[in-house]
Formats: sequence, C-alpha cells, structure tokens
Amino acid sequence: MSLKVTRRKFLQTASLAAASVPLAKVVSAENGFVRKPFTPPGSSAGTTTVTGGICEMCFWRCQLVGKVRDKKLVKLEGNPKSIDNGTAICARGNAGIKLLYDPDRLKYPMKNVGERGNPKWKRISWEEALDECAAKLKAVEEKYGPHGIAMFPHGASAKYPMHFFERAVGTHNVSEASFFQCRGIRDTAYVSTFNTAPGEHVDMANAKAILLIGCHFGENVHVSHLKRYLKGLENGAKLVVVDPRYSASAAKSDIWVQIKPGTDTAFLLAIMNYLIENNKYDKKFVAAHCDGFEEFQKGISHASLDWAAQICDIPASQIKEVAELLAANAPNVSIHPGRHVSWHGNDFQRLRAHACLTALLGAIGVKGGFVKPKGPKVKGISWAKGHHDGAHNLKEMADKYHFAPPGTPTELIRDACITGKPYPIKGCVIWGQNPMQTIPKPQKTVEALKQMDFVMCVDVMPTDITMYADILLPEASYLERYDYIKKGTQWNFADKHEQFISARMPLVEAMFERKDEVWITNELAKRMGHADKIPVNSLEEKVEKELASAGLSIAQLKKEDGIHIQPGKDPYGVSEDFEVLLYNEDIEDSGYPGVPTYIPVEEVPKGFARLVYGRSPVHTFNRSQNNVWLYNAMPVNPVWLNDESANKMGLKDGDEVSMVNSEGVKSTFTSVVKVTPGIRKDTVYMAHGYGSKNPMLTVGKGAGIDDQALITKIAIDPETGCSGMRNNFVKLVKSGKALDIPA
Amino acid sequence: MQYGMIIDLNRCVGCHACTIACKAEWEVPADKGRNWVHRLGPSNTPEGLASTYYPGLCNHCNEPSCVPACPADTIEKTFKDAKTGKTKTMEVAATYKDPFNGTVQIDKDRCLGCGACADACPYGARYVNTDLVNEEIGGEGVADKCSYCMPRVEQGLDPACVQTCLANARIFGDLDDPNSEVAKYVKKGAVGLTSAAVNIGPNSRYYGNKKDMHLLTSTSTPMEMPSASLRRSLMARMKPGFNKAKNLGFLGLAGAVLVKGLSEDDQD
Repeated sequence: MSLKVTRRKFLQTASLAAASVPLAKVVSAENGFVRKPFTPPGSSAGTTTVTGGICEMCFWRCQLVGKVRDKKLVKLEGNPKSIDNGTAICARGNAGIKLLYDPDRLKYPMKNVGERGNPKWKRISWEEALDECAAKLKAVEEKYGPHGIAMFPHGASAKYPMHFFERAVGTHNVSEASFFQCRGIRDTAYVSTFNTAPGEHVDMANAKAILLIGCHFGENVHVSHLKRYLKGLENGAKLVVVDPRYSASAAKSDIWVQIKPGTDTAFLLAIMNYLIENNKYDKKFVAAHCDGFEEFQKGISHASLDWAAQICDIPASQIKEVAELLAANAPNVSIHPGRHVSWHGNDFQRLRAHACLTALLGAIGVKGGFVKPKGPKVKGISWAKGHHDGAHNLKEMADKYHFAPPGTPTELIRDACITGKPYPIKGCVIWGQNPMQTIPKPQKTVEALKQMDFVMCVDVMPTDITMYADILLPEASYLERYDYIKKGTQWNFADKHEQFISARMPLVEAMFERKDEVWITNELAKRMGHADKIPVNSLEEKVEKELASAGLSIAQLKKEDGIHIQPGKDPYGVSEDFEVLLYNEDIEDSGYPGVPTYIPVEEVPKGFARLVYGRSPVHTFNRSQNNVWLYNAMPVNPVWLNDESANKMGLKDGDEVSMVNSEGVKSTFTSVVKVTPGIRKDTVYMAHGYGSKNPMLTVGKGAGIDDQALITKIAIDPETGCSGMRNNFVKLVKSGKALDIPA
Repeated sequence: MQYGMIIDLNRCVGCHACTIACKAEWEVPADKGRNWVHRLGPSNTPEGLASTYYPGLCNHCNEPSCVPACPADTIEKTFKDAKTGKTKTMEVAATYKDPFNGTVQIDKDRCLGCGACADACPYGARYVNTDLVNEEIGGEGVADKCSYCMPRVEQGLDPACVQTCLANARIFGDLDDPNSEVAKYVKKGAVGLTSAAVNIGPNSRYYGNKKDMHLLTSTSTPMEMPSASLRRSLMARMKPGFNKAKNLGFLGLAGAVLVKGLSEDDQD
C-alpha cells in the first residue's frame, strides 16, 4: 500500500493530531495538547511544524523541518518539499535535538582562571569576554602585526569570522581542516587538470560503472549523495571498490580490490597505461579536449599491469579486469573524486590521476560521468576584501606548496608558532574546529598553543581544544540561528531539471547566553577598530541580503515552506573550450611531476600494522561524540584486525585493547578488537573521532581510541601542504603487553 | 489485513537513521531501542565474503509469544477496522494482537511492568522502560516496543523509520494485499527470521542477495524460544491468581512463577 502524503497533508497533521488526542491528564496552556503519562505521544501530537531548518550535524546540510511542542523541539525530519534529501535524514540529523539540548553544551562566556590544557572556568559577562578578547588580540596585532594571529575555523558559522580575520584584520594564517586535513588536495588537483573543483559531482545515479577509491558509503553518509549511489546500483551499475578493507561499499561491490594502502596511484597509472596501450581510451574526447597526451603517455608508459600488481599487492589480472570493465562501460562511468583524500602525503598526484582517468574514458559531461549540476546563483555577503599584500604569507615566504588550497598549510602555522620563525604567532582564534582531533600530532598543537599570548575558542560543545582557551564563547547551534544558504538541483539528473534555494532559519530560540557568529564577530570588530567595515548588523540581515540577490526574501522562503524551487537546466554536455591538462607544465615548472606519478610510501615495519581510519555512520568526526543517542549507537570504535593475525596474536573478537605507535605514543583510552577476514594483514582500521579527553563531555569522554593522537609521523603533501595521515604504524596492547602484528 | 515491513538488504547501507528517528519519535531512552541495526561481518560465507546488517524490530508475529505471556487483568476491548468500520470485541490483557491490522500493541496504562512479554520474545524486540513507573500499578517500568508507528500510520504518515530511510530500504504495508509492495517482496522471496523451534509467523521480513541473507540468517535467527516462553502456558494458567496481586511486579516475576508453579504442581 502506498503511504505517500502530500506536503499539505503533512503540514496539517500536527494540528489535527492535537485535536484528536483523548483524555486529559496533562494539558498545555499553549496548545491544548494532552498527554497520557505512559504513552509517548509521537512527534505529530500537539506539535507545530517549523520549516527552514538546514542541518549541520555534518557538512552536507540536509533540509529539515522541526516538530515543536511547547517551544521545545521534539523531532527533526527531512523537509518533504526537499528535492535533495527529501524526507530522509541520517542518524546524525535525527539526533540533532540531542545536540541542541545537550546538558554539557556551553551556556555562558567563560574565562580560564586555571591553565591552558588544565582549565578552571569562571563564568563572565559577554561584555567582559568581548573586551578581553578584543584587547588581547589587538595587543598581539600591535606587537607582532596582524599575521601574529592564527585562526582555525570550521563549519558554516566560522566563515564570517574567518573573513573578518583574513580580510579586515589581515592575517593569512587561516587553516581550515576541511581543506588541509581533508578535501583541499582533491580540489586543487582537479583545478590543475580540469580547471574546476570537482565536489563529489559524479552522476552515479545514471552510471554503468562506478569506481570508488577508499570511499566507504554507508559508513560515510551524505544523504543525497548516497541516493545517487544507490540509484546507480539499483539501475545495475557495476561497482568497483578499491580499499584495503571490506568496507560497507566493498560489501556491495562487483569487484573488491584489496589494495595495499598508499599505492592507489600505481593502480590508476596501470589502468590508464593499459587503456592507452590497448586503444581502449576515448580518442575523440582526448583529441578534442586533452592537452599533453604525448608527455602523459610517455610519462606513464612504465606502469605495466605487473609493475602495479607488485606494488599494490593485487593480481595483475584484477587490474586488467577493472580496466576492461571501465572501458566497456565508458563513457558512462563515475570515477569518484573522493572527499577525505589527505592520506599519505602523495595524494595530489593520486587525485590528478583520478581526473586524468576520467578524461581518458571521456566520462565528462555525459550520463554517469563527471557532471557538475547547474544550480542557482546566490551572492554571499561578507567582509570586503582588504588590501593586504603577500608579505607575511608563510606559503610564499617558504616558496613551497604551490598548489595549496586557500588559506595557509597547517604545518607552516604550527612551525612558525613553535620556532618563532619566520615570525612569531601569538594570538589564536579557534572557531568551530577541534584541532586536537582534526590535525595530526596533537602534541605539536599543544606546543603551539602554549606559547600564545592569547587563545580564544568559540563552539557549541566543550571539545578537547576548548581546554586550551583563555576565553571560551558559547555559540548558537545550527538549529537556533540563521546562516547557511543551501542551494542546488534535484539529485538525480534523470529527473525533471529543477533548482532549489533554501536558507537556514532558526527552528527554536537560542537558550542561555548563546550568540551567533555575526553578533560575536561584529562585537569584536567594534572593539578592535573595524566598526566602519562591518558588512551586516545581524545574521538575519545577512541572509536577507543574500536571498535578495536571487530575488527572494526570508518571508518568501517561509511562505514556500523553507525551500524555493524553480526550473533548472540540463547539466549534461561539455563546452568546446573545456580543457584537460593530462600533462601540466605549471606543476612541472614548480618542481613537481607534471604527469601523475606514483611516489612510494614508507613500508610497514616488522611487528606493526598501518593505522587506517575512516567514518562511522553515526558520527561526524569528533563533533558528535557526546550526543547521547549517537554515543549509544556506537559507543567505541572497534579496531579491525585480520582474523589470521588475531589468531596468531591470541586475540578474540571483543577483546579490549589500546594501541601504541612506532614512535612510542600510546593511546589514552581503549577500544575493542573486531576480528574479521575483511582486512589486510598489514593494516588495522578504526573509525575516526573517538577518544575525547575533556571531562566536561560527560557522555563521550574516554570512549574509544583517538586515532589522531597516534598519527604523530606527519607526511606533508609537497604540492599542497596538506597532511597525509595514514603513514603511522601501530601495535595493539592487551593487558599492558604490546603485541607484534604478524606480517 | 496484516501490516508488515520489508527490509531490503540490497539497499540498506547500515546508517542507523531508522533507530535514531524512532528514538526521537517515541521518546525511547538513550540506551534502549524499539529497533536496532547490527552490523554483521565481514565474515566468510559459503557464498563468499559478506558484510550486511540486521535492522531488527518487532515482528508483529502471527502467533506472538509475548501476548499470552502478559499476566495483566484482561478487559473487554473493542477494535475497529480502519477501512470498513467493522468492530470486534475481545478480552485482552495489557498486550494484544489487533484483529484488524495484525499489529501487536501494548496498553501502557495497564502494563504491570513485569517484563514477562520481553522475556517471552525470541527476537528481543521488547524492553522495559524503567524511566516510566506506573505508581498505581507498581512494577519496574512500562514495557515498550515497535508499534509499526500505528499512531502515525493512522494519520496517513509513514512509520518514522521508513520516512527517514535514505535508501528506501524499509518498505511498509499490508502483506494481505497482493498488490502491495510488501506482498510483492514476499513473492520475490523476502523471509522472516524463523527456525524449527521459533516459527511464530514474523511479519518483518528480509530480502537480499544470497551471501547477505546467509550471513543474516546464520547469525541472527533465534534458534530456540526463550526459557521464559517455556513458562508461558504456566503463566497463562496462573493469571487469575496473579491478577489479585497487582503489585506482584515488586516480587519479581521469577518468584511469582516459582510460587505459582509449586501450587500448580499440586493440581497436576
């Protein structure tokens, strides 16, 4: 039977339900809602539906509605009007109310009257907090220059303050984890090949074959992205998954390539060389759009199947099988660009190879290929760009990392902090990021922070980094503020072409003394002498102005249940001047290989295994660790260990273990072993983001092992300056004894 | 009519959204669940290496072992067919199987909180919510489980878990209607988790490829009825006596069964 409801009916049900609930025991004066004491009423009883929510439990940002009863948000659901996520939201999205009402959330501005790392908090007024933040930052600016301030932002709320510090104050020293520890390499590698950042724009829904390198969908969840993937599988797309582990995606694959970690580029080169040698590439596309084919062909001609098979520790026949499968289904193949790609410090070359393979297959602008959606335009409003020269740009001073994403590579900032060279960095603003669990070798972050004159943090939760703040400011969550404009198209390009524009609007009012980013930033700006440059007076005004650029308003969006939908455009096709640089001279001139090149990574030392991490479907990195619903869904991050190895080591499924890495760094907490044939012997795996240390996190503290603390060997990707984080080796420790992991 | 749910494992990605949506919808304590997702494998199966999920929930069984286990006083309850308006009156305890839509429900205001029903379920689909205590009745809480979201369904909404599923892996509907999607899945081979000893007609069913189904059924099928269920007939017989002691929950079920069992032994 069909249970489809129209949007109108959906929105009506709240009021109908309130009228139909029998028997009064508790009656709310507000809405006449009555509840029986032992029967949960359900989210539609006595609630009103508030539209305009945009999720930020992760950064895909699905469109929400809230069910509100007596001013309390009782449930979040996907907005039925959405042509992106629809009524679906993931576990984290559903658990948003447990972030909103987390009793451990920051409530008031606080001053650290203890020491950094071992704080003692004293509640202070906003006035005092802002005065102190502004005075301390101003003092740093006057003594060391604006570049004496570093900023670590993350999330929608950090954009406006980031622009303030970059553009009005004038520091280059801004490092976003979303670039330097995540996807920045992918973006600049594709820009250097296709002249466009790829996002995750592969048309999987209409593909005949999908190649995933490391992507583990299902463990990694972004709703409309997974809809594309699942639609593709439903339509019969062949799935190839390259992963040392039998991941959630590998379990749905037609071919699982159990590759040796770090060697993916060799695998891709061999496929491309095979396609060229056997005339199985798209000659027409290459002739029309690709530059440097000869240099490219020559540059990868060494990459035979046997060469790669030996490096990747997989059969040559399997590489051939994958190449044949891709060729047979070309051009309708999705070569997925990946998302978190900062793995081994050789990643720019790998991502270049992803892009080149896409081009060789002609898989651009065609069904199933690399296709960018044609979405609506909405102009962002922020701080005006100032006239700051590159004089104190660490990247330019070092003449390194010529293909870095925007901002400054994290290591350059930390090194400057610790050495004082080429100049001191003495003020630090951390906004929505938790560098203790985003940046490898947290020991170094601590060292950088300890030498600061001043550290301020703005967050919703008392994350581990907030223990190092001098002043800690409580922020309104994504459910309590305006900000992000979410726009795009329908997720399946086979459907009617439509565009949508929506804006984050508060579902409930912020409680306690929590404030939004525009208010906080503007108050700092006024106190730091930048009042004249303030672009908007409130977040609401910012969103109103941004919407106006698309002919919309907040009132109009509300009238349209939070989402404006308009006719869209066919995204298929490739413009005549679309150019693919198979060989990129600029890259070569900067001192890096101009043709995608495999750069070997360090071998696993005897007795150790390589530590590889990934996503859990119920957590967004460390951000959601204290969410009581999500915590209970997966309280620890099991350590995947090969079953034969486990047998030799005397470990059983569920045994409690800790870890020690090859540099002697021990994990603070423990986890459990997951014994499985689904992982290589030279690799152990766990979900990232566990092992919080802040005692203010009463749910999440001490749960699981923090992989980031064990990533102490830092591999910097030479082209981009991004952190490679899969070059560390560990042993498992049981009952105090470090156990050798057999090869 | 018999409501049922299909879980399509070919689609399920194990994201857990269903379990969290349910918690929000029905105020389920953080450490409990009306439904669950267990990750299975990766393990070797005769069909090859496999990894899948066991998204479990109440099976609203054809012959539910929980219903006769309920020792609460029976009352007369009139059921109404949502479609035809036809009514039927039955004697029911605090948990019952709806004669029209086939769902198994709990009358929470009359639940003793003894946990007999939870003990009797071979699937572990029930728990006792100890956050709620009915002071008039006593006991240690109130039994809770999946209701197939009947209050939502009656309003024309999907069950909360179905609505939030990004994969469309959960399909809800009337198994008795041969044109329903769920019935079509059954025709295609969707099966409940049953064994020789546990064959009580589960109406939550699973569909998937051979290796996933092998992994699911070999790890997650209950192989015997819980021992509490072996006492089921005993408890049913002792009902009249049990009803007199409404605060029996405080004594603990095991004690009550023992005492009553001894007296019944005399009669045998």
